[in-house]
Amino acid sequence: MNSFTALADSTRRDIVSMLARKGELTAGEICKRFEMTAPAISQHLNVLKEARLVRMRKDAQRRIYSLNEAGISEIETWVAEVKAIWHERFDALDDYLQKLQGKEKRNVRRRKNQREQG
Amino acid sequence: MSADERISESKDREIVVERLIHTPRALVFKAFSDVEHIGNWWGPNGFKTTTHEFDFRIGGVWRHTMHGPDGTDYPNYSVFTEIREPELISYNCGTSPDEKFWFHSTISFEARGNDTNVRLRLLLASTDLYQEVIKHGAVEGGQQTLERLEKHLLGD
Repeated sequence: MNSFTALADSTRRDIVSMLARKGELTAGEICKRFEMTAPAISQHLNVLKEARLVRMRKDAQRRIYSLNEAGISEIETWVAEVKAIWHERFDALDDYLQKLQGKEKRNVRRRKNQREQG
Repeated sequence: MSADERISESKDREIVVERLIHTPRALVFKAFSDVEHIGNWWGPNGFKTTTHEFDFRIGGVWRHTMHGPDGTDYPNYSVFTEIREPELISYNCGTSPDEKFWFHSTISFEARGNDTNVRLRLLLASTDLYQEVIKHGAVEGGQQTLERLEKHLLGD
């Protein structure tokens, strides 16, 4: 799952902003801030971890979560990709419309010629 | 990078891409609003597009799959939120009706003689993310906390 799919969920977005503000939080601390069961939050944390948006380390019995820079830079890369896609798209649009109009102009000319000849 | 892109990046969660298309506005608008045209350029490079549903009206659904050059399929599900012919098209865009939208897209068309300036504005749905995570301060802050904690644990 990529970073953006992971962030399509509002609870997961809230967890990420919370970690951005606090730096580090234990699973228990994160859980306390949501009206959700511990297993539900734990599942969200797993999704974020798999998407490399958060990191987890164990300290005795506690699981401590923080942001993972790798996932964050993936987002920046992704923004650059979106821009590249749209630049390509606009190139293709411009080419396509040029051809289309060339064709239309030729058709108009042909029809005009046909009329003049007929 | 254009001046416009610089401005948009400072606005945190926006992606803006702009282009002068060498075609009159009415036809450019048609290339976005007519399903017959879209498949011919939507691409991008190496991609093919299959449109399953294209209902061009406010509240109408546009469902299409982008087929990547490596065979990966990317499903897209969009709902038109604003249409003002020939100057603007807005839609919310995501991957399926069961998921939250990822972006709000606005495409505006500005006539410049026989050309058209097309401006795409993507607003990320994950506002929190953009405001709080992309800011390096937040990430660095997290890192500093981590270092402090490590020192503390090591009894430093």
